[in-house]
Amino acid sequence: MQPLRMMATTGMLGYGYTEEAFRRGIAQGLDFIAADGGSMDPGPHYLGEGIPFVSRQAMKRDISLMLEAAIDQGIPMLIGSCGGGGSEPQLALVRELVEEVAAEKDLHFKMAIIHSEQSRESLKARRADGKIESLGPIAELTDDVIDASHRIVGMMGVEPFQQALRDGAQVVLAGRATDASIFSAIPLMRGYDPGLCWHLSKIIECAGQVVTPRTGQDCVLGTIHDDHFLVEPGHPDKICTRMKIAAHTLYENPSPYHLEEPDGTLVTTHAQYEQISERVVKVSGSRFEPTNRYTVKLEGVKQSGYRTVFMAGVRDPILISVIDEFIAACHTRVAGEAASLGIAPNDYRLNIRVYGKNATMGPREPLADQVGHEVGLLVDTLADDPEISKAVLAKARYALLHTDFPGRKCISGNLAIPFSPSDMPVGMTYEFSVWHRMEIKDPLEPFPIEMIEV
Amino acid sequence: MARLIDLANVLRSKNAGALLCTLDIMFEEEAVYKKVCDSGVLEPGLIAKLYGISDNEVSIIPYDVAYAIKITIPRLHKSGDPDDSDIYGAQQHAPLLDIEIPD
Repeated sequence: MQPLRMMATTGMLGYGYTEEAFRRGIAQGLDFIAADGGSMDPGPHYLGEGIPFVSRQAMKRDISLMLEAAIDQGIPMLIGSCGGGGSEPQLALVRELVEEVAAEKDLHFKMAIIHSEQSRESLKARRADGKIESLGPIAELTDDVIDASHRIVGMMGVEPFQQALRDGAQVVLAGRATDASIFSAIPLMRGYDPGLCWHLSKIIECAGQVVTPRTGQDCVLGTIHDDHFLVEPGHPDKICTRMKIAAHTLYENPSPYHLEEPDGTLVTTHAQYEQISERVVKVSGSRFEPTNRYTVKLEGVKQSGYRTVFMAGVRDPILISVIDEFIAACHTRVAGEAASLGIAPNDYRLNIRVYGKNATMGPREPLADQVGHEVGLLVDTLADDPEISKAVLAKARYALLHTDFPGRKCISGNLAIPFSPSDMPVGMTYEFSVWHRMEIKDPLEPFPIEMIEV
Repeated sequence: MARLIDLANVLRSKNAGALLCTLDIMFEEEAVYKKVCDSGVLEPGLIAKLYGISDNEVSIIPYDVAYAIKITIPRLHKSGDPDDSDIYGAQQHAPLLDIEIPD
């Protein structure tokens, strides 16, 4: 078969890429361009709120160059996990940006929008059939957890992308998708070796992360041949090294040898990595082991409450020497004062972290007894009612500032408070409630495709 | 004796999903990688002790092609939970730094 060429423009839509690398890649003649648009790394908040963790302006810039070149070249453009989490509002935002760019540049094309939010009813039915299991140390999914969840997305594989392309879409905007599916959909459709397709996709979905020097995000080119693939940077001044390409399957995966996708596992045990020129790495020997069941990962979040945050420093050595007991005393005092406001212990959560002691690693910190000359306190409250969150935080601030401790000499105040106002309400926060895997028969069914003429 | 912080050129931690934390120790030279692997020091019992977890929660995978050793453990809390303090899991590697490898 003729080699197939693809370009990943950026590891995350909105993280950017250089125009130089992009133009150079486009000039080489590509079969498609694509970018991953999402990640759960920044935590549950963005899926919960349905907002991106990059700016609208940055996403629009990344879309703009890609869209214009794709339409000009007559090649497909694919974006997966739109807006960060692939939820309806995040997908709608990316669609809006694409439509804005199209209108500004007078571009016309057929576009597919692939939805990935899952209804509670469908999930309950599948759960009742025993088709949902947890993906690691998290509670089993129950109907109560599904009901308590604010938003749940399913992670699509290649099939919805392929269906959208078969239906004539040139631009595909997908909700939550596995990072590698975005890049594997087209080469798999055209019959390339699945081991090579998935492995190349796994390597280039993070784009600029596999190039040297790592000066920000940038385009990466992948070429699939019958029995190997090549990876090279888009930018002429950057290189790909054998070690970095080989090391990439370590990144954010529990195993570098086995990488799971909806319909099987990429096995890199026998992969060979060769530096064939200063800039280009050749990979062969990757295998894909299909499984007999098709599974879709589910990600969901529930609300944890309105958070209010307060920070302060402690420099008094006497207080630092009794800091744990002092904090315990403050918790007790706050509970009493909250009760006097009619706020019950279950109405809020108060968390006081001691930076300089064990805030980063908590009970896993081996050096918690080695405290320096100052510590930082990060105090936060969570409550279903934003006013309760603020009220308890204010009580906690006062308690920390003025509660006595054994040997106290700094009787005018225990804290160095850097800001006025000191209390920062940050709004609703979320936590992951769903991190599971759902077995399905039809890979298209949970992911409705909407076709649009732009 | 040499400490891992002096032998490794990459020593990092990161989420592997919201529930797991994965620690990568990478070496520039094959000889150093082999020495660390062959020393037998990096075994589940030691990692379990350093992180206060049980042996069967620890996975250790040597990755010859990149001179790397991958260790995966459960996160203390799910990423972003009310008590979590490292959303990306990027600062959980420090207990590995002082592990001593015999010459």
